[in-house]
Amino acid sequence: MESFREIPDYLSLVIGKIANDKRCAKTEGDFMIEMHDVWKVYPNGIEALRGIDVKVDQGEFVYIVGPSGAGKSSFIKLMYREEKPTHGVVLINGVNVKRVRDWKIPYVRRRIGVVFQDYKLLPHLSAYENVAFAMEAVETPKREMRPRVQEVLELVGLGDRMKALPSQLSGGEQQRVSIARAIVNNPTFIIADEPTGNLDPENSWDIMYLLEEINARGTTVVMATHNKEIVNTMRQRVIAIEQGVIVRDELEGEYGYED
Amino acid sequence: MKIETTGRHFREAYRGIMKNSWMSFAAMGTVAVTLLIFGVFLIFAFNINYLTKELDKQLAVRASLQDGTPAAKQVEILNKLKQNPLVKTADLVPKDKGLEEMKKSWGDANFIEGLKSGDQNPLPDIIRLEPKDPKKVKQLEAEAKKISGIVAADSGGGVTQTLLGFSGVVRNVILIFGLALSVLAAFLISNTIKLTIIARRKEIEVMRLVGASNWFIRWPFFIEGAFIGITGAILPIGILLILYQAFYNTINSGAAYTVIQMMPVTSLGSYLAVSTFILGAIIGIFGSVLSVRKFLKI
Ligand SMILES: Nc1ncnc2c1ncn2[C@@H]1O[C@H](COP(=O)(O)OP(=O)(O)OP(=O)(O)O)[C@@H](O)[C@H]1O
Ligand SMILES: [Mg+2]
Repeated sequence: MESFREIPDYLSLVIGKIANDKRCAKTEGDFMIEMHDVWKVYPNGIEALRGIDVKVDQGEFVYIVGPSGAGKSSFIKLMYREEKPTHGVVLINGVNVKRVRDWKIPYVRRRIGVVFQDYKLLPHLSAYENVAFAMEAVETPKREMRPRVQEVLELVGLGDRMKALPSQLSGGEQQRVSIARAIVNNPTFIIADEPTGNLDPENSWDIMYLLEEINARGTTVVMATHNKEIVNTMRQRVIAIEQGVIVRDELEGEYGYED
Repeated sequence: MKIETTGRHFREAYRGIMKNSWMSFAAMGTVAVTLLIFGVFLIFAFNINYLTKELDKQLAVRASLQDGTPAAKQVEILNKLKQNPLVKTADLVPKDKGLEEMKKSWGDANFIEGLKSGDQNPLPDIIRLEPKDPKKVKQLEAEAKKISGIVAADSGGGVTQTLLGFSGVVRNVILIFGLALSVLAAFLISNTIKLTIIARRKEIEVMRLVGASNWFIRWPFFIEGAFIGITGAILPIGILLILYQAFYNTINSGAAYTVIQMMPVTSLGSYLAVSTFILGAIIGIFGSVLSVRKFLKI
């Protein structure tokens, strides 16, 4: 019975196709993140992105890979409206960000958590205060703040380090504070630009497990990375960008570069 | 904006001021000097306004009757004048009453007594005409002169008019100085706010990332500017009121008859304080707006 051994492969193909069809059946604006023929040309004439088409659905975990200068960070900046597309349409939670008035952009950003390689923590504030700062900034009542800040700091494993200043925390711990800050306002998705870029392998894995757990709770995660080992181990959707163009988009992809 | 948030904005503004305390202090000082000059302008302006109104109130044509005009003829002339459309009121002031009034207003009774040498009252009988429209007083004067039996008609106030014109010029010079200085003060404040914005670069970046509204980010800077402006207003208000009171007392003390009638401190004080505070706040907020627009990219 040769063909039996092929069943698992066949099954996974079918499941993959169903998942893909489900994604394709959705109409425009139903996705969490959607880009249509997006170009980003910086004032100096550099074409960082050249005709990007992509859809990210709720609950997905997506790696953005590609060589240095490929346009990964530019792609991410379009998602939280740090940059406007030069051409094309970017829809975030169904909203065309190009049409959003400047004063409304903060309300778009409230539904997005952002994490960076350099953490961007405020050095004079404790771990607790850094996270609370994000709640205060969106005018959350004080009495709601305390339990929520404690909750997310416990979730990232820092329940006992809440009073520590960033300078008293390791790189991995600082990145966990920044992740706590990113999720504290209940965003629909998290974008991370090389969150493990400054961390040693062990700390990198801790951060990845944390992001995976957050993803398992229903939050979409989009992450740009150069970490081959992580991408190849986690087996998630991989979008490869080269010279501003998507050259590969696989549901259970690999890193695919030697570096 | 929630009350909790408002409290936070004020705390942040306070933190900003304390962080650049020397710059804030310098900015407050400039505001104080500016407002001192503006205050002098305001005192001039208020007083000129007051004086003009007072003068208008007192403005009257004094039509002197020919010496020895019989009473019946005097009444006839009076009635004729009462029918003139330019006249609001017309009163006959016999020379004895005129002397009484003069005594009262001049205060120096001996001097008047001297005038009255040998029971010879040098004043003529007059008719006091109050014009309906103070601006048409000259016209009324001319028309009164034409009536037979009236030897002279004078609305007086020549000296005060000249004085008013002169103070108008002084007022404008002060205004120009004040305006130039307030621009300087606003720039100093904007520079102070700029320092705060630079010191807060990281916080502003994080606030933007997590979706703080533009006003949430801006408020503390506006409050900081307004605070510097208002604090800078306190000292000049105090100084101006004290000096004004002293000046007022000197001018109005003694029995000397004065053409200058100054606005009483009680009514000027509140006008001056309120306008100076508002000016301080405007200069401060203007300074913040300059800085926020230039340096706070949202
Ligand atoms: N603000 C900017 N102004 C001008 N050019 C820019 C700007 N930001 C990025 N670029 C250019 O756009 C191109 C893509 O940059 P981007 O930062 O998106 O690459 P990346 O894939 O994130 O690279 P890396 O892996 O090194 O982070 C590069 O050539 C870069 O020099
Ligand atoms: Mg990058």
